[in-house]
Amino acid sequence: MDMIKLTIDDREVEVERGSTILQAARKLGIEIPTLCHFDSPHLAKSDQPAACRICVVEAGGTRGLVPSCISEVTADMNVKTRSESVVAARKTVLDLLLSGHPEDCLACEKNGDCRLQNYCYEYGVERTSFARYRENIVLDDVSPFIQIDRNKCILCGKCVIACTKLAGNNVLGFGARGVETKIVCDDDKPMGESTCVQCGQCVQSCPVGALTDKKSLGKGRTWQMKKVRTTCTYCGVGCQLNLHMSGEQITRVTAVEDGKPNMGQLCVKGRYGYDFIYSKDRLTTPLIKKNGKFEEASWEEAYTLIADKFRKIIKESGPDALAAVSCARSSNEDSYAMQKLFRAVFKTNNIDHCARVCHAPTVAGLAASFGSGASSNSIGEFRDAKMFFVIGSNMTEAHPVAAYYVKQAVRKGAKLIVADPRKHELARKSHIFAQLKVGTDVAFLNSIMNVLITEDLYDKKFVAESCTGFEELQATVMKYPPEKAAKICKVPAETIVRIARELAATKPSMLIYTLGLTEHTCGTNNVMSCANLQMLLGNMGVEFGGVNPMRGQNNVQGACDMGALPNVFHGYQKVTDPAIREKFAKAWGVSDLPDKPGLMIPDMVKSLPDKKIRGFWVFGENLANAEPNITHTEHCLASAEFLVVQDNFFNETCKFAHVILPAASWCEDEGTFTSAERRVSMVRTVKTSPGLAKPNWLIFKEMAKIFGHEWTFNSGRDIWDNEVAELAPMFAGIKYSRIEGDGIQWPCPNADHPGSTVLHRYGKFTHGKGILKGLEWTAPGEVEDAEYPFILSTGRRLSQYHTRTQTGRSGMDAIYKRETADISLADAEEIGVKDGEMVVVKSRRGEVRVPARVTDEVPKGMVWMTFHFREGNCNWLTSNFSDTITKTPEYKACAVNVTRCEA
Amino acid sequence: MSVFRTHVLLPVDEGTAQAGVFEVKRRLEKELNARQLLDEIKVLESGSVGIVGRGVILAVYPDRIYYFNVREQDVPRIIDEHLLKGRVVAELDHAPIASATVAASMGKGSKVGLTRTQRRIVLDKAWTIDPESIDEILVAGGYSGLEKIFTDKMSPEAVIEEIKKSGLRGRGGAGFPTGMKWEFTRKAQGEEKFIICNADEGEPGTFKDRLILEGDPHRLIEAMTIAAYAIGAGRGFVYIRGEYELSIERLRKAITQARQYGLLGKNILESGFSFEVEIRKGAGAYICGEETALIESLEGKRGNPRVKPPYPVTHGLWQKPTAVNNVETLANVPGIMVHGAEWFRKIGTDKCPGTKVFTILGHVEYPGLVETDMGTSLREIIFGYGGGIKGGKKFKAALLGGAAGVFLPEKLLDVRMDYESLKENKAVLGSGAVLVMDEDTSIVDMLFSIAKFFAHESCGQCVPCRVGTRQILDIAYRIRQGHGREGDLEALLNLAEVMFTSSLCPLGQSLIMPIKSALENFKEEFMMACGH
Amino acid sequence: MTPINRDKLLTQHEREGDSLLAILHDLQNASPEHYLSDDDLRAAADYLKLPYSFVHGVATFYTMYSLKPRGRNLIRVCQSPPCHLLGSSTISRELIGLLGIGFGETTPDKLFTLEMTSCLGVCGVAPAMMVNDRVYGNLTKERLVEVIKDLRRAT
Ligand SMILES: Nc1nc2c(c(=O)[nH]1)N[C@H]1C(S)=C(S)[C@@H](COP(=O)(O)OP(=O)(O)OC[C@H]3O[C@@H](n4cnc5c(=O)[nH]c(N)nc54)[C@H](O)[C@@H]3O)O[C@H]1N2
Ligand SMILES: Nc1nc2c(c(=O)[nH]1)N[C@H]1C(S)=C(S)[C@@H](COP(=O)(O)OP(=O)(O)OC[C@H]3O[C@@H](n4cnc5c(=O)[nH]c(N)nc54)[C@H](O)[C@@H]3O)O[C@H]1N2
Ligand SMILES: Cc1cc2nc3c(=O)[nH]c(=O)nc-3n(C[C@H](O)[C@H](O)[C@H](O)COP(=O)(O)O)c2cc1C
Ligand code: SF4
Ligand code: SF4
Ligand code: SF4
Ligand code: SF4
Ligand code: SF4
Ligand code: FES
Ligand code: FES
Ligand SMILES: [Mo]
Repeated sequence: MDMIKLTIDDREVEVERGSTILQAARKLGIEIPTLCHFDSPHLAKSDQPAACRICVVEAGGTRGLVPSCISEVTADMNVKTRSESVVAARKTVLDLLLSGHPEDCLACEKNGDCRLQNYCYEYGVERTSFARYRENIVLDDVSPFIQIDRNKCILCGKCVIACTKLAGNNVLGFGARGVETKIVCDDDKPMGESTCVQCGQCVQSCPVGALTDKKSLGKGRTWQMKKVRTTCTYCGVGCQLNLHMSGEQITRVTAVEDGKPNMGQLCVKGRYGYDFIYSKDRLTTPLIKKNGKFEEASWEEAYTLIADKFRKIIKESGPDALAAVSCARSSNEDSYAMQKLFRAVFKTNNIDHCARVCHAPTVAGLAASFGSGASSNSIGEFRDAKMFFVIGSNMTEAHPVAAYYVKQAVRKGAKLIVADPRKHELARKSHIFAQLKVGTDVAFLNSIMNVLITEDLYDKKFVAESCTGFEELQATVMKYPPEKAAKICKVPAETIVRIARELAATKPSMLIYTLGLTEHTCGTNNVMSCANLQMLLGNMGVEFGGVNPMRGQNNVQGACDMGALPNVFHGYQKVTDPAIREKFAKAWGVSDLPDKPGLMIPDMVKSLPDKKIRGFWVFGENLANAEPNITHTEHCLASAEFLVVQDNFFNETCKFAHVILPAASWCEDEGTFTSAERRVSMVRTVKTSPGLAKPNWLIFKEMAKIFGHEWTFNSGRDIWDNEVAELAPMFAGIKYSRIEGDGIQWPCPNADHPGSTVLHRYGKFTHGKGILKGLEWTAPGEVEDAEYPFILSTGRRLSQYHTRTQTGRSGMDAIYKRETADISLADAEEIGVKDGEMVVVKSRRGEVRVPARVTDEVPKGMVWMTFHFREGNCNWLTSNFSDTITKTPEYKACAVNVTRCEA
Repeated sequence: MSVFRTHVLLPVDEGTAQAGVFEVKRRLEKELNARQLLDEIKVLESGSVGIVGRGVILAVYPDRIYYFNVREQDVPRIIDEHLLKGRVVAELDHAPIASATVAASMGKGSKVGLTRTQRRIVLDKAWTIDPESIDEILVAGGYSGLEKIFTDKMSPEAVIEEIKKSGLRGRGGAGFPTGMKWEFTRKAQGEEKFIICNADEGEPGTFKDRLILEGDPHRLIEAMTIAAYAIGAGRGFVYIRGEYELSIERLRKAITQARQYGLLGKNILESGFSFEVEIRKGAGAYICGEETALIESLEGKRGNPRVKPPYPVTHGLWQKPTAVNNVETLANVPGIMVHGAEWFRKIGTDKCPGTKVFTILGHVEYPGLVETDMGTSLREIIFGYGGGIKGGKKFKAALLGGAAGVFLPEKLLDVRMDYESLKENKAVLGSGAVLVMDEDTSIVDMLFSIAKFFAHESCGQCVPCRVGTRQILDIAYRIRQGHGREGDLEALLNLAEVMFTSSLCPLGQSLIMPIKSALENFKEEFMMACGH
Repeated sequence: MTPINRDKLLTQHEREGDSLLAILHDLQNASPEHYLSDDDLRAAADYLKLPYSFVHGVATFYTMYSLKPRGRNLIRVCQSPPCHLLGSSTISRELIGLLGIGFGETTPDKLFTLEMTSCLGVCGVAPAMMVNDRVYGNLTKERLVEVIKDLRRAT
């Protein structure tokens, strides 16, 4: 490395060429004040404004001073960081800033944590020596979570950088010029009326009290706060948070600046979606339904009732008349405990969780192609990738922080190809956008591969050395020339050819997909087609490449890993393998573990009315809202013989329960979540659970005990360190002691292993060679017809999370208030509705009345809805068609009709 | 071209347009037509002549007779007396001044005023030709510098060498050696490079670039093509301030013509070299004259200066190597190519060869513009070309180099006007504006006006300048109103000093110049205003 | 402006960020009130795929653009030192008196907007001002009265 020697305040230091004076000084432990300098690994030097000038130093002969935050060191430079002229300059800068700043420290939220205040103290600038030049700028207070006090703004520009260069939301900017300069949202709108998505990235970056979190106002001073690191409870990105605690109260949430994967970034839910845990609506005591009404009960009563009922069912109908749905929201340890309860104690493999309605095709498809059903690469790689192919994924809303990275890479010149029926934010930012028709991905992907093969653009070496099945694949994709595929997927043939050529030209590229692929009757085939494509391009096993499914729930990867699946123990160890069963039987001290794979969620639900399933335990899953075809689901749930629901809230599923168990929530128990990039990160306890609520794993342990099983673990830590890590080779090297800071990405076979950022390195797939497989396109289960001429596709929106038990209690309704139906401008005109007017959306299964959201995001003939609210929930409409292999429902396509709501 | 016995030139600029030059022209054509003289006498619009405040100007060639303050009703007399009978009309407002010298070192002019002998290099064609006719320009020797490069098969390096040898320095203010700038750009890493002509000209008191653009736009195109060839650029931009409508119009026409004649575009003069020039219009921001702010603005952004280094020669437009040159700088290039570096070096001073275009303003008899040798004394400029102080008053001070200039007192009147000599006297040449103040002028008031300009034009990016300019304005205002306080003068100096050491760009850094020179040279005046 | 006309005007420019200033000039020139409306700014932003705040930031940085409707005659009085020296403050005061409005304001009859400007590059005829595209130099109180009268008559 090229090193440079220089002197700072008469001390010698050696640093890398290209370092700034600030970095060199820090190496010596010399503090230089900074206001506008943005310490973030995501920013290049040219992104730094270097405009506040508080960091100036003397650097050699010239009379002028240089900004240390941006000036590079040169050989033998002689730097003075505290000379007379430096101090004079700093004092004057502070003096000038104060001349436009209120003397408000006592009442200011930032007091004690404010750089301006600290430096004024340090440099002895008590008050300004100049005339005041600005006063009484009106507070911008209309957004849900953020307040802007421009009187305190020192125009350092960090918020603008945060908004445009980190989050890529492009809301904030500078307006006017000279002394009139100010930060503005959009075209100088109040923040709450602008396109701001309330991610709070700007707040986190503000060095003074100009931007503040409304939820934190008056909640206490920084110096009184204890910071506790934990993992976000919402999506699969797995962001690392600092909870600022005042007693048991979270007063503020910030991103862990150097924590992986988010490195200082968060989205609106992670930052402001925390207070549901304090909600009055929390379940605080077990409830037992008596005469159609829930009555409070003791744990003793609840356990006894469940035990009696389950014993009876097992005796009368065998253990397979019981079934469990585990929770992808709570910890690994909880899921592990539940599957252990059902396998070791009740002796059934009837356990599943919401991966079934989500990424089961990923697990199955990628396991078939690569031997491992998880994302092959890491989220952090997105930032520096050269090219992306994003298909069926609305990252900016569903995985916002991962999307920040994609946007950052694009800003730095990476290519972005998006394939989606909707023109969402990333589609708008893309270089090529293939607006394909819902449910045509196999044809589309086959056609890209057709071009790669016919134009001889694929990676022959990789295919020859690392894959099998090329001939079969070739034979199939040859049936999909671009012109023919174009007729199916409605993407122009030229675009298909262009995409193929671009993909071949820039290597490697990262393929990212989500539910747009999995939630289809051909879900598993869609996933395998992605695998085919990336193998054909030779993009596997390398950094900045791979197949990257963005797992949805915060711990859906973990719930799969922990064996909350009907066919595997944790660590994907097959229940059908006698040796494995033997191993677990021994470890758990039991005999005859069930050897036949259990039921999947849809079959469990379907089996309730005919009593094939008689005892059903639903842990942290709101089936009544989240399953397709609510009428059907509720009919099944209502006919359940005995339903146990274990949750934090009285959700819509609870109505049908016979017993409800109050569980500890996020922040009330220690454990781990495993994110979409296979990273096992810690979740920590900062408060006690309300009332009688208990940690989930403890409930299962106590249940086991009633059945005579003494489990020795007494905490999440015990469960992981002593059982999870011990019994699955892929987790063997992960122990709590190793993940106090950043988590570790599995597989991690031993205590010295750093974890795996990239799977299938050097073209060596988990099961040997990668399997290329020819797959034919099949249409969705239900397609448009004369009676139902629209295709409905469904999903989520940024500020709400699923069935809203949490976001609905964190103030997110202020951003997205009710269900809407997105329709195209053309359709709106035909139907005769304007934006915001009510429409009736009707399918063969039901109808809902919601306001139309007229937008250019959806093409003509398509309707887009979400399932966040009970009223108008799209699941009144969705069908029971599902993936032929994994039974994942086809949420992404069903036929509907849309009409004006005349009433 | 048909041959005319007489050319009547009507310089068109904002001033003459306002005074009715088009009305005069219409009348002239009508009257000539009526007398069937249109085949003999040609009426031409020319660029500005650099003489301002004299109403409509009418020049008769080859007689070299100038009429000032011409009104429509004067036209018949001028035709009948002068054009037909050869008798100069003596009774117009201002007696015609014969024999104004036009081309470089031509003629023996009058002793006083702007029509006195000038040496014209950059303005040698301006106002002797129709700037909208490429044919005339070609006849007058336009584009021969460019032609020479290609006929002599000069390499880009040789062109740069010639410019380096000539000692040409930037006329935009900083005086940076042009040859070196081009060399850096040529040697910088990168496939694509750019040449930018800085025609933002916002420095108060400066309008020299406008006159070049209006009077001889082809010279600029020629110069930029040469520069582009030298540095290896395929695209060039002229960034013109938005108010210069006429300049934009003329340059636009010139570009179209040059393209038609194969002097611009693909394969120029069959040389294999291709180059395109685009005009970009500013929108009202003095700071966009600063080269990095200009580049930002050209990219379509707010005109915030960039932190330097890196410099435009390596990281310029779209972060690619870029040479930014002032209009006047470039206008020197064709002459150097034609006559050689040696010729150029003989003019001006040793370290500052060539001429400089000065604008003379304020309390002088003949405000306007003059091109003369570098190193001419300030006294010569004010009292020679400017005709001395208006109304016979006494000289008090001259503000040199624009708003960020220096107040020079009487004792420095003999300073020579070139970068070195001025530097020795703690002054700057800047854009070449000479604002003359008579004995009645309040320097306190002038400083206030300067402060106001800076506060208005600060881009607002960095703290010392954004807030500093505002606070300096406040203090200057106070002093001007006679409410100066104890310590105000120190505060002014201290603040300006910190702005100098710590501001991001030269705008904030340079306010120290007028403040310091005003306080040093006219201290009493300030003390009095502060109640001492 | 109708959206169709606006689109026509936009498509004459390259869809590159560096077209922004030219687009804003054109949009403003097309406005009889010499200003950029919200719709103008949004159309420019959408056309160039730029953030709204960015376009707003550019439009408010440069003094030639206005986001407020302006009068038919846009009077820009130079107040830079050379004009100041020759009496631009008197001119300014006189205009304020004649028009009954301050700087940055528009007369109720929408005939005049008064703005201050930095050097217009016509300092030779200082004190100077511009009315729309036209320069008026060597201003005196008397000339001002005449000019304003002429402008009133012409419009
Ligand atoms: N804010 C928020 N974030 C979340 C969640 C939440 O509820 N709220 N939930 C989390 C969970 S569990 C999950 S699984 C993820 C889901 O994350 P995503 O799958 O990204 O989210 P969806 O909203 O389901 O959007 C899927 C995308 O697929 C597109 N699509 C629909 N049909 C097709 C098709 O046939 N082909 C293609 N190529 N595309 C199609 C849709 O237009 C949409 O853009 O989000 C997680 N993150
Ligand atoms: N139409 C349509 N429907 C869909 C989808 C779609 O795209 N379209 N997507 C599907 C997908 S991908 C998914 S993942 C599902 C999600 O569907 P669900 O998983 O049912 O949705 P959530 O709202 O996340 O419900 C989780 C439940 O767990 C509870 N919970 C949270 N944390 C804890 C905890 O720590 N302990 C306990 N005991 N309970 C807890 C919550 O209160 C809530 O009741 O929805 C599916 N449904
Ligand atoms: C505030 C400021 C304003 C400037 N204005 C101009 C200008 O109007 N025209 C110009 O040519 N240079 C101007 N400059 C100088 C340019 O930054 C740059 O040095 C010049 O264009 C280089 O050209 P030259 O080397 O040919 O002189 C200005 C500099 C500053 C700091
Ligand atoms: S922002 Fe800082 S300096 Fe300003 S009032 Fe708040 S604590 Fe005090
Ligand atoms: S709001 Fe805060 S971060 Fe943004 S410019 Fe002002 S002081 Fe800086
Ligand atoms: S909250 Fe996020 S989107 Fe909104 S202005 Fe701040 S950084 Fe931008
Ligand atoms: S991106 Fe996902 S993990 Fe990160 S803060 Fe947002 S919801 Fe939480
Ligand atoms: S010195 Fe003034 S003009 Fe230059 S960057 Fe700073 S604020 Fe802008
Ligand atoms: S911290 Fe270096 S200039 Fe602001
Ligand atoms: S100073 Fe007024 S026009 Fe130049
Ligand atoms: Mo999901």
